[in-house]
Amino acid sequence: MSAPSAHDVCIVGGGITGAGIARDLSLRGLSVLLLEKGDWGAGTTGSSSWMIHGGPRYLEFDWDTTRLSTQDAGYIVGIARHMVYRVLFIIPVLPHDKNNIERMETAMEVYDRFQPLKKAHPHVRLTADEARQAEPGLSSDVIGAVTMEEWGVDPHRLVFANVQDAMAHGARALNHTRVVGLLRDGGKVIGVRYHGPDGVTTEARARVVVNAAGPWVPEISRMAGAEVQLRPAKGIHIVYPHRISNFSISAESIDGRDLLLVSHAGFTLLGTTDDDFYGDLDSVDVLEDEVDYLLQAFERVFPSIRTYRPARTTTGVRPTLFKWRRYEDELSRKYEVIDHAATGADGFVTIAGGKLSMYRLMAEQTSDVVCRKLGHQAPCITATTPLPGNESELEPAVELSRRSGIPALAAMRLQTRHGSNAGAVLQERRSGRMICRCEPITEAELVHATRHEQVRSLADAFRRVGLAAGPCAGAACVIRAAGVIGTELGWSPAQRVDAAREFVRGAWLGRAPILTHSGWAQEEMASGALRGLRN
Amino acid sequence: MARADSLAKLAFAYGLHLTRRRLTRPRSQLAKLLETYAPDGIRPLLPDERERHPHLIGCINCGLCALAAGRVGKVRLPELASSYMRLYARLGEAASDVEGEAPDIEAAASACPVGVPLVEVAAIVRRLAAG
Repeated sequence: MSAPSAHDVCIVGGGITGAGIARDLSLRGLSVLLLEKGDWGAGTTGSSSWMIHGGPRYLEFDWDTTRLSTQDAGYIVGIARHMVYRVLFIIPVLPHDKNNIERMETAMEVYDRFQPLKKAHPHVRLTADEARQAEPGLSSDVIGAVTMEEWGVDPHRLVFANVQDAMAHGARALNHTRVVGLLRDGGKVIGVRYHGPDGVTTEARARVVVNAAGPWVPEISRMAGAEVQLRPAKGIHIVYPHRISNFSISAESIDGRDLLLVSHAGFTLLGTTDDDFYGDLDSVDVLEDEVDYLLQAFERVFPSIRTYRPARTTTGVRPTLFKWRRYEDELSRKYEVIDHAATGADGFVTIAGGKLSMYRLMAEQTSDVVCRKLGHQAPCITATTPLPGNESELEPAVELSRRSGIPALAAMRLQTRHGSNAGAVLQERRSGRMICRCEPITEAELVHATRHEQVRSLADAFRRVGLAAGPCAGAACVIRAAGVIGTELGWSPAQRVDAAREFVRGAWLGRAPILTHSGWAQEEMASGALRGLRN
Repeated sequence: MARADSLAKLAFAYGLHLTRRRLTRPRSQLAKLLETYAPDGIRPLLPDERERHPHLIGCINCGLCALAAGRVGKVRLPELASSYMRLYARLGEAASDVEGEAPDIEAAASACPVGVPLVEVAAIVRRLAAG
């Protein structure tokens, strides 16, 4: 065991909440240790719908939640401008839908009052013909539609930008590092014990330990002798490796839930489900039934959906606050900051519940509790301090393309990940060689991610720069990428093959539930291209 | 209490909405919508493009078309059918990539194992890039 380090605060969990708290406390001048057992944002955060949305559904329950949610979404849009993009929903209304067009428009009129808080445009109402002019793929049964604007974001980049800024302000942040116990002095929590990726066990002392482990919150709480009860809910998405439409579209499921087809930069998410989950949080599978449930709902409004070839599925577990006698969909996305001093575990704070769109506010309120416990007085500045890459205006992508010799499309994608730091990323190694052509990703960016963004595996590269996220699902790039990352990390030829095999096998688990006859054509090709890595 | 309050306010908004609908004549807002979102690249596909769209995005990036015929402008054909088709909202910013000569795309299309209509792909990418 190596010698213990000492910090003001140790945060357990490197999803968006933990990363947001690490950034907040670092900007307030505290020394922070952030630990994540997998990769940054690899759990619930990465399995989200990739949206900073204001939450019109809360209009039925609590307008104040909608106001807070839209206001905080506005702050996030301001500090992460290079990362976010507008997502425009068409909400079609069919005969016998639970909400008629007048009720839908009323909801949007009310939501419009909050939209300026997040710099979004108000809704418009479309006739059936107009809706089909905008999106000719809509069903002829549609009788009208309203629009709604939200913001899209890559949650993996958002998490890492928070981690990166925390580190720039003195935090220590370790991924692939699992907390295996808490250090106690009587009831008081005084630090953590963790296993690093090298298998070494280390102790770290901290004046406060923050439990921001998402659905794993109860497990970490038990280490402190505290009990936090959640009602974990599983959600899945189908991922299409293209924009199916420039518009995002909502649909009503067989049980009356609202499903969303969300158009992101180069792919489309269709989701989501919401089911109580009692299984192993580290091994959550997607079932074919869940895929069929989504497709059945969506083909009512967009009949050609089954002709599109999905690339994979994603799944995650929401850390919903516990509530008895409610259907899953009726559960609130509220959050709670718990100071366990009252129940004998002083020095231990839990943040439970919540959602991606309110991460900054959750982090601020958790940090306020931590600062009060430490007697530290410093204001929160995360609402106005830009995240890395958003400190200055972006140069036009064409200009970056001309200077660097990479295609303008590649330059544009690079800027959405790195903002104004894109030029510096390309200086890392003067190689514009395309490693992943679908996304597209250059060798220089992959080298940068390995050297400066804690990429330690191909799966990390998938999250950090979108490696193998496109239509070929890695067939054309996995081996090349293993070579580039392996050179940086000193992998032997056998280790590079092992890394590629591990990635291909992991990706297969997400693809198996959605393979159709068109999907199998790609599988055959990938199987040949990857020379038996799946065996 | 918050729920009752929210539902009461929604009911009032609903009444207001119905009254306003009765007193005002609806006008088309589609043109305004498309104008608002044009800078974000949110534009409709044409009806025939929509009908053919599932085929246009069928590329599995095997690279065979690149062996049969090289590039459209600066872009290799597999990238045209994979990355440019998948990112079609913002092609205006990448217009310079697809300017220039086009090779014998029909020959390239005949080599495609999944039947991607590369001639149509090149046409739609150029149309969207031109804005």
